[in-house]
Amino acid sequence: MTVLEVQGLRRSFAGLRAVDGVSFGIDQGEVVSVIGPNGSGKTTALNLVSGVLRPDEGRVLFQGRDVTGLRPERLAEAGLSRTFQNGRVFGNLSVAENVLIGLTPTLRAARPLARWRDIPVLRWLSLLAETAVALVDPPSVRRELAEREAEVESQLDRFGDRLRPRAEAAAHTLSYANRRRTEIARALASGPALLVLDEPTAGMNPVETAEVLEQLLALKAAGQTILLVEHKIDLVMRLSDRVLVLDAGTVIASGPPDEVRNDPRVIEAYLGKRRPAVRP
Amino acid sequence: MISRRGLFTAAAGVGATAVLASCGRLSGEQTAAAPAPAAGPIFFGVSAPLSGASAEYGKIWRTGFDLALDEINGAGGVKGRKIELLWEDTQSDQKQSVPVAQKFAGDSRILAELGDFASPASMAASPVYEKAHLVQFGFTNSHPDFTKGGEYMWSTSTTQQDHAPELADLAKSLGTKQAVYYINTDWGKTTWKLYEEHAKKSGYEIVHSEAVQADGSDFRPSLINGRDKGADVLVFIAYYQAAALLTQQAKNVGLAQAKIALPSSAYSPQYVALGGEATEGAQLIVRFHPGDPRPQVREFVDKYQKRYGKQPDDFGAGAYDALKILAWAVEHSDGTREGVRKALLEGKEIPSLLYGPFSFREDRRVTTPKSTRLVVKGGAFTLVGA
Amino acid sequence: MLDTALAGLVNGSSYALLALGLSLIFGVANVINFAHASVFAVGAMSGWWFSVDLGWPLWTVLLGVMAVTGLLGLVINLVAVTPLAKAPPIAALLSTFAVSVVVDNGAQLVFGPETRRFPALLATDNLGLGGLRFGTLDVTILAVAIGLMLVLGWFLRATRYGRAIRAVAQDRDAAAQMGIPLARVQNLAFVVASVLGGVAGVLGGMYLNNISPTVGSTVGMSAFAAATLGGLGSLPGAVAGGLLLGVVEAFGVSWWGGNARTLITFAVLLLVLWVRPSGLFGKRSPLAAEPMTGTFFGAARTVRLRPWQVAVAAVAAYVVPAVALDDYTVQIGVQVVVYAILALSLTLVSGQAGQISLGQAAPLAIGAYTSALLTTGTGLDFWLSLPISGLVAAVLSVALVSPSWRLRGHYVSIATLATGLLVAAAAVNFDWLTNGPSGVSAIPPPTLFGAPVSAPLAVYFLDLTILLVVLLLVVRLRRSTLGRIWSAIREDEVAARSSGIAAAEYKSLAFGIGGFVAGIGGALFAQQYGYIDPSVFGISVSLLALTIVVLGGLNSPLGAVVGAIVLVGLPEALRMLEETRMLTYGLLLLAVVLFRPQGLMGKVAR
Ligand SMILES: Nc1ncnc2c1ncn2[C@@H]1O[C@H](COP(=O)(O)OP(=O)(O)O)[C@@H](O)[C@H]1O
Ligand SMILES: [Mg+2]
Repeated sequence: MTVLEVQGLRRSFAGLRAVDGVSFGIDQGEVVSVIGPNGSGKTTALNLVSGVLRPDEGRVLFQGRDVTGLRPERLAEAGLSRTFQNGRVFGNLSVAENVLIGLTPTLRAARPLARWRDIPVLRWLSLLAETAVALVDPPSVRRELAEREAEVESQLDRFGDRLRPRAEAAAHTLSYANRRRTEIARALASGPALLVLDEPTAGMNPVETAEVLEQLLALKAAGQTILLVEHKIDLVMRLSDRVLVLDAGTVIASGPPDEVRNDPRVIEAYLGKRRPAVRP
Repeated sequence: MISRRGLFTAAAGVGATAVLASCGRLSGEQTAAAPAPAAGPIFFGVSAPLSGASAEYGKIWRTGFDLALDEINGAGGVKGRKIELLWEDTQSDQKQSVPVAQKFAGDSRILAELGDFASPASMAASPVYEKAHLVQFGFTNSHPDFTKGGEYMWSTSTTQQDHAPELADLAKSLGTKQAVYYINTDWGKTTWKLYEEHAKKSGYEIVHSEAVQADGSDFRPSLINGRDKGADVLVFIAYYQAAALLTQQAKNVGLAQAKIALPSSAYSPQYVALGGEATEGAQLIVRFHPGDPRPQVREFVDKYQKRYGKQPDDFGAGAYDALKILAWAVEHSDGTREGVRKALLEGKEIPSLLYGPFSFREDRRVTTPKSTRLVVKGGAFTLVGA
Repeated sequence: MLDTALAGLVNGSSYALLALGLSLIFGVANVINFAHASVFAVGAMSGWWFSVDLGWPLWTVLLGVMAVTGLLGLVINLVAVTPLAKAPPIAALLSTFAVSVVVDNGAQLVFGPETRRFPALLATDNLGLGGLRFGTLDVTILAVAIGLMLVLGWFLRATRYGRAIRAVAQDRDAAAQMGIPLARVQNLAFVVASVLGGVAGVLGGMYLNNISPTVGSTVGMSAFAAATLGGLGSLPGAVAGGLLLGVVEAFGVSWWGGNARTLITFAVLLLVLWVRPSGLFGKRSPLAAEPMTGTFFGAARTVRLRPWQVAVAAVAAYVVPAVALDDYTVQIGVQVVVYAILALSLTLVSGQAGQISLGQAAPLAIGAYTSALLTTGTGLDFWLSLPISGLVAAVLSVALVSPSWRLRGHYVSIATLATGLLVAAAAVNFDWLTNGPSGVSAIPPPTLFGAPVSAPLAVYFLDLTILLVVLLLVVRLRRSTLGRIWSAIREDEVAARSSGIAAAEYKSLAFGIGGFVAGIGGALFAQQYGYIDPSVFGISVSLLALTIVVLGGLNSPLGAVVGAIVLVGLPEALRMLEETRMLTYGLLLLAVVLFRPQGLMGKVAR
């Protein structure tokens, strides 16, 4: 089954075509990577897919539904989670609270009448109900919170002793790598149908990178569908089912990793006219 | 560890005790203030704008008060005691005039209060003074409702009821098509309503009327409106700053030929100083003017001129007069707050710079004598026809 | 028609002159400089002094004024802005506000408060066009505004320092990495902007004819609207915004009367922001830049009191005034309590949800008017009017602020500022509803157990009880899931949305609840004074409320109460200073913002 289908996406900034007619699809359980030189439009493509930016043209289908131009929070509720290239954590919240925020779409008791959120005026009934519940704090909400906190624990366990001992620390006190981990834990918490990662290992050392690779392989083995933007070719090669190469906003190559790696257009895009020594 | 509920119960208990303990202070009735000390200086509270946008009026008050104080205390004071003022800055803002009133009310040395400058600031504080049985002498408060606030609210200000019709009559004498601009404050609006009433009754033709911002700086678009409707006399219901600006800008929009009529609140040497040549020929109605031949006025003007190097205006003279009236009332009282009110109530022939010997009406205001008309001539105010 | 447009252009060019400086400073330092209008006033006053008292000719007057205001700009930057570079942006905004209090009141002491005539150093009515007389002066002002825009544009493009300023404006961090001396560039920008402000003061003084030390405040707000209208940071935008606003105001005044000016100014500003969220000429990136280090909203944790400490404080709040304080002090206590309620509404909106509001006087005014009109007009009981006031304030707050959800950062604050001024202006203009400037008087005191609550102590007990309820409410909300959701929006809206949080709805909710609380405060306010008019709800109330919250520690409910005690009590404690009271208050305010930007109840995190 196709989880994500992208058709002819375009987006320009002040005349610059950042994404210029990109199409691709991702099947259930697949890991698809997008690579390309800096400024080739990878992040913009992810922003378009995740609703953070609106496309000028093109369509995005998520689990068979047209979600083009849908707001990011709606996409998140629908099961699309993402991380950001430079890492966006909630600095003054603890690590555990950061992950708890990732569970927001799964809250029921604390967010009553959530279905009414799409209806202009009635939405306020839902918001007021949420306020009332927050003030009263009934047992159902407390029970739900306890469940979600347990869920947070298990998410933190994924990162072993990297995050566990720091669960109560404010996120802005974390190391860069730990912030990225926190972000990934937050994105995974709600059990998304599609996980979108923008350079998850940027700024990590080889040991940390290897650790992330292991975790992603484990996720893949568990059937997680992933859309990945990454610079580290080794990681992409080991993880991906398919690779898309972007240059100047267009897909210049796509296919299984081995095939793409030896595509002369890709080599040219990455390294200019010189003949590269591609590492095995 | 004590339980949370226990804590709150305890808190509520102590709170309730406090409430009961202070029951007397909770009911509206003021516990009688301590009697005023019988020796030492006599104090008046002054609730005035010393900072903020109206600060300059507070400063003018000080000139009039200081002059009166010197006279009174120089002559041995009242009942052998010196008079002193306790100044409190309110910025003429009711958020500040109310606590100041509370402060004065609780200070038993204070026998009467002067101010505040703006009617709203005074009126918000009135209930406090009323409860404390302290005379609130709002000598600039022309709002008709000010003295209706209670038995202790007194004023020597002209009310708009007296003043507005006179202003309309002045305008009528200057031209046939009136354009009236009034500043958008409580005072401006009230004056305008009374003005309009009188003008309608008398059949005067008002071709244009418009509220303008009291602290505005650009009145040209408003004045163009009046010009396009063919106004030949302009009435500016404003204090002197806005009046000066309106006068100047009227010339700029081509209303150079139109006559100008002004209320007494625009009466100040500052009007001419600020407005320059454009003010030439403008006419005002005033209750006080330094050219008044009465000896009392001559003496006051000379002293003022000598001390401050300039002529007194309506606010300076009003402040001087107000303080002297209160001192007179203390002199004729038993030296208590209540006594001051009684003296004002029963006083006949109260001496006054502005009104000559007078007595207060039932509504605790003064019947204004017919105002004088002045015209700006050669950069100075002169009596019309002189 | 032509006349009106021309009058508007002339007036608008004085806005444009001021807007240029505001825009320049905003571009470089990312600070809304509330002190800029005071620089204008100092320019006008020192220009008056040079020309009248010292008898200098125009050229030396201009040079002298430029020296004075340039120096003042430098001092403002060094004292009030640079030290706060690492504090949340709101701290710098409040410190420039404190500076404006200091400068305005200082100028009042130095020059005396009276209004005076600015000598006409240039002719004012030697030219005519279509019935409107104007002069060399008016043409000069327009020419100077456009000329300065061009010169400044050239300076920014063609000189080394100019390019440095632009580089800093575009990307501070990158510029610093390129070796551009940030500190020097920012000093330069302040000096240049303040010199412009001084020139504007001289020309503006001639144009206005009459000046006083507080002349800045009237022109300042319009200039500020003009700069935003044009797009903060854009020089052509500043000039275009100024001229456009001048013309729109002129026609608005011509149609609806002079008292509608403020209403028009801020209605236009809001409408423009709704349609073009970055102003007419402002550039807006479609996506807030991804931060390099994560976004941190004043990294501070709040001091937490233990329950028994809170309980003791609450009991003391009842007992001490009853047994130990006189009615005057209790009256101040009543004000402290009402401001604390207002501040708590901001703790939710600004501290919890991160939306810095400069217009919280709006719901306060709406609540006060609702309660006052209901109890006087329809004789409704105060206790019924109380929740209605809160509701009306909540609904209107949300309706006025919600269209601004596309705005980001400072623009949100500006939209709320405009909302606050708009509501006050509406209260002046909508006579049929609010009785206009005359206000509503004879508001009956509430009754409780059949007795009127009007003695200071009784009012205090009533208000304090409501304060404690509100405090409890705010604390509970903060600790709930809802509170966590608001925190996430505050910390990083983009990330919050991508985690499934509908930010716009929750921001609306924060403003709604904040509006409800402030509306309740307003109702208490109205009953406490028995009399309200529009002047009570000026911008200074909004700024005071925000300062209270910042002083107390933005995110600390108890801090709001402590801040209210300090900041409302302070001016009263300074009463013996008479004329220098507000000056001292401003200096203390400045010191507080400078030395405790994290607030009294905030601890700097490690
Ligand atoms: N918000 C934006 N505003 C203007 N230009 C942008 C914006 N975001 C990205 N761009 C531009 O679009 C191009 C693609 O950027 P991006 O998608 O971030 O590339 P990548 O992630 O592949 O490095 C770049 O030239 C970049 O400068
Ligand atoms: Mg990228």
